[in-house]
Amino acid sequence: MCYRVILCLTLLLTPATLVAQDSSGLTPEQFGLRHLSEYLSLQPDDISFRPDYTEPDSFRLQIITDLMQHPLQMVDYTEALRAAHVPKQPEVLAGILFTDLAGENQTVRGRPYRGKPAELHREYNLHYRDVDLNQLLTRAATYLNVIFPGSTEMMLSELTPSQREFLRREFKEIVVVHEEEEFFTVEQSDSVEKVEEGYADEFVEFGYKIDPDPVVAAGIDCLREMILEVGNLQKRIRSGGTSIKELLSTTGYLPDNVDRESYLGLQTGWKIGGTGSDYYQGDYQFILDLGGDDVYDLEYDPAHPHGVIIIDLGGNDAYRTKSDFGLASGCFSVGLLLDFGGDDRYDAQSFALGSGFFGFGLLYDAEGVDRYDGDTHVQGAASFGLGLLIDEGGRDIYNAALYAQGFGFIRGIGLIYETDGADSYYAGGKYKDLLRYKDHYLSLSQGFGYGLRPWMSGGIGGIIDLKGNDSYYSDIFAQAASYWWSLGLIYDSSGNDNYQAFQYAQGAATHMTLGILIDDYGSDVYFGKGLMHGCGHDYSAGIILDRHGDDTYTAYDLSQGAGSANGVGLLIDSEGNDRYFVKNRLNTQGYGNPRRDFGSIGLFIDLGGDDQYLGNGQNDYYWRTDSKWGGGMDIELNPPDSSEANQ
Amino acid sequence: MRRSNVIAIIGALVLLFGMTTSAGADETRTKFDSLFVIASSGGVQFREMVEPAKDSIAAMGEDVAPWLIDKFTTKSARERWTIIHVLKRIGSPAVPYLVRALKRSDGLVVQRVCWALGDIADSAAVDPLIDVRHHSRWQVRDQAIGALGKIGAYRAEPVVIEALTDSIGQVRKAAAVSCGKLTADDGIARLVHLLGDDFYGARMSAMESLLKLDTTFVVVALSDSIASDNNFVGDLACRIMGQLGTPRCIATLLVQTHADSPSRRAHAATALIHMTSQNAESVCSFLSMREPDRLARLKMTSALNAVINEQ
Repeated sequence: MCYRVILCLTLLLTPATLVAQDSSGLTPEQFGLRHLSEYLSLQPDDISFRPDYTEPDSFRLQIITDLMQHPLQMVDYTEALRAAHVPKQPEVLAGILFTDLAGENQTVRGRPYRGKPAELHREYNLHYRDVDLNQLLTRAATYLNVIFPGSTEMMLSELTPSQREFLRREFKEIVVVHEEEEFFTVEQSDSVEKVEEGYADEFVEFGYKIDPDPVVAAGIDCLREMILEVGNLQKRIRSGGTSIKELLSTTGYLPDNVDRESYLGLQTGWKIGGTGSDYYQGDYQFILDLGGDDVYDLEYDPAHPHGVIIIDLGGNDAYRTKSDFGLASGCFSVGLLLDFGGDDRYDAQSFALGSGFFGFGLLYDAEGVDRYDGDTHVQGAASFGLGLLIDEGGRDIYNAALYAQGFGFIRGIGLIYETDGADSYYAGGKYKDLLRYKDHYLSLSQGFGYGLRPWMSGGIGGIIDLKGNDSYYSDIFAQAASYWWSLGLIYDSSGNDNYQAFQYAQGAATHMTLGILIDDYGSDVYFGKGLMHGCGHDYSAGIILDRHGDDTYTAYDLSQGAGSANGVGLLIDSEGNDRYFVKNRLNTQGYGNPRRDFGSIGLFIDLGGDDQYLGNGQNDYYWRTDSKWGGGMDIELNPPDSSEANQ
Repeated sequence: MRRSNVIAIIGALVLLFGMTTSAGADETRTKFDSLFVIASSGGVQFREMVEPAKDSIAAMGEDVAPWLIDKFTTKSARERWTIIHVLKRIGSPAVPYLVRALKRSDGLVVQRVCWALGDIADSAAVDPLIDVRHHSRWQVRDQAIGALGKIGAYRAEPVVIEALTDSIGQVRKAAAVSCGKLTADDGIARLVHLLGDDFYGARMSAMESLLKLDTTFVVVALSDSIASDNNFVGDLACRIMGQLGTPRCIATLLVQTHADSPSRRAHAATALIHMTSQNAESVCSFLSMREPDRLARLKMTSALNAVINEQ
């Protein structure tokens, strides 16, 4: 009673103090984050992780180390990646990604093999008359015959023959999953696990000696030259400076007994095709096809690695392979597939369609409505290298099972860059998630970074999609998520997008790692079961940032700004009339749970619009959840001018 | 019976006994290894076998403790959890083995041993845990200080309070948590200082521990520090006082409703609204009326709504 009297008296005698809110110089999300943090007695700098929670390994990327210490900088990093692509110049994006492949504390980057004068000045007989064509072929031959093999040798120079063999056999086994594992007994499962752990132990002993830089850098140099040379040819054709017929005109009759290896363009594994419907079958090093609806049945033998350059100037083409590493795959080398037109179909097995496996794989499709099918480690996927799929137009379909669609494994960056079209991405449905569910499938795709806990840190996996109403479908681990010292990201700039996943997705990070999903414009739908919509588990940061549109978020549990086991989960929606639904309000919408005797951080921020909630939040409301430690706010950052509203 | 025959028979018996014992030990080890595979298996199809397997290993008693401790070098998180769970179930009989393992050179094993000792919570581990309080590896200090709190080792209070000033945030956090568990009132001043810690785990744990300590001393310390240049100290002091709700808390919070910072005013106001739940509406109404900052006002009405919802 006494304190109530004191309270009332004091209230009556209290003058008010006017202090303006100063938010100048901050983006809406920065203001929101700072403001909610203050409300919860936190600060944005609390979102940081020590580098020594576990023993550091030799495979960590510097950019991952930096971002783990400052996870909020993922926003800037992702935006920078979005701005990194120049249309018609895939080499620019590749070059920027190469800089991010730097290992922790790596001060000097490896360079491509330069070649000895004798190697570089190998003289060919000319079969074709056109100077520009011969220039292109000469440059390609230099890379395929000299620079790529030399760079591969540099990459693996410190490895013994048996260690090199290990990469092709055992390391690949670490990556792939077998459907029959679903039916193993407990002993068999343990045995497989122990074998793979043994592989990891063995690899750690020598894997740090592998430097993928020379091969990746050589691939980017080659890409730059090929794009330039092809561009010159295309310009001449378009301007009428030459015709396809003139381009393919030869120097004359070629006797049967001539040494074809000495003729540029006629070497084994080389083919130049015209504008007809051509059919290519086998293990090629170089194909230049000048048009027509072509069919490619390609093969690749990783026991005999080599570079591959395929350039197709137009037509509705079908690219197929029945072997792993068969299409746009840099397997211990460089694989470039450049398709400049047409509605194409790409039908691959594993390690393809922009796959870098100890190398650089690029699939560049300049236009058309395309379809990409593959299994594992496909569609912008990389381990010890760079895997890139750039598609600059059309309504495209991506279909894969595992480790795909922007997947970065150890010392790898895998990315899809999509500039236009209402695209659909599907990953999963083949390999069951035996650790968690009897009836769900692993995806580990769609902007997914993956490391081998606790042996080796992972890489960066991402999707950048600029336009179109896109659909992302997956199951477990996907859509801007990662596992173990990695980064998974999606930046979707515009369109009304649909994100569907079951668990560990949509801005999720699990075990000392990072995930971020940024969606700029459009009314989007985010749907799933749990550990999503900004969820970080075990010293991890998961962020979802949606800047515009009337969005709908639906989840069951541990989502929508949820920190778990000392992780950080952050959901920020800057504008729009949004709807947030959760089934379990005890661990969602600004929630943190304790582990190691202290809490996590879960932050939920909505900065505008008339929003609807099922859960802890409310429109125009601040809340702290009964958790360690989390809360949320729904405010109107830029309230309408009331005087105008009344008019 | 001739002497040589007796010696021969005894010799044969000893040999036989030895072989039997050896075979028995091998059998036990095999059984342990087999059970451990099941206990640490991850597949959803084996889930129902995991807990019985852990129970079976625990039922084998302290003899398996050294094997479990040896497995602490594992790189598998699942195996690590299995070891902890089983050791906890074995309980005090495992403590002597764990205490001996504190002297191992592998810091990773030592930190996990500290963790297990904290979970078992046997007072026999207190002195050995105190002995590793200055371990060079911060993870060991973190686990050891935390374990002392879990055990409820009151004689370790000075050690825990000293750890509030460790150079590593995680260790300060562990010390803050343990101070609360030990109701270490001697640590109040340092805990209040910890409210301004750079590491949120230490800061927030200090807040929670202060709520468990002697209210009178805590309120005095908070009142003295509420004007600290470090905003966290004042903001968290408001939150603590809002939960303690003493007259002095109210007086102090009322002063804070005049603070320059809208954030501080909101912290103080929402604390007052929470503590005066019966009059929350009028308190909120009055404080809101004179609050110029719209977001601070929104925080107050939100606090009021929360109070009403709780009622």
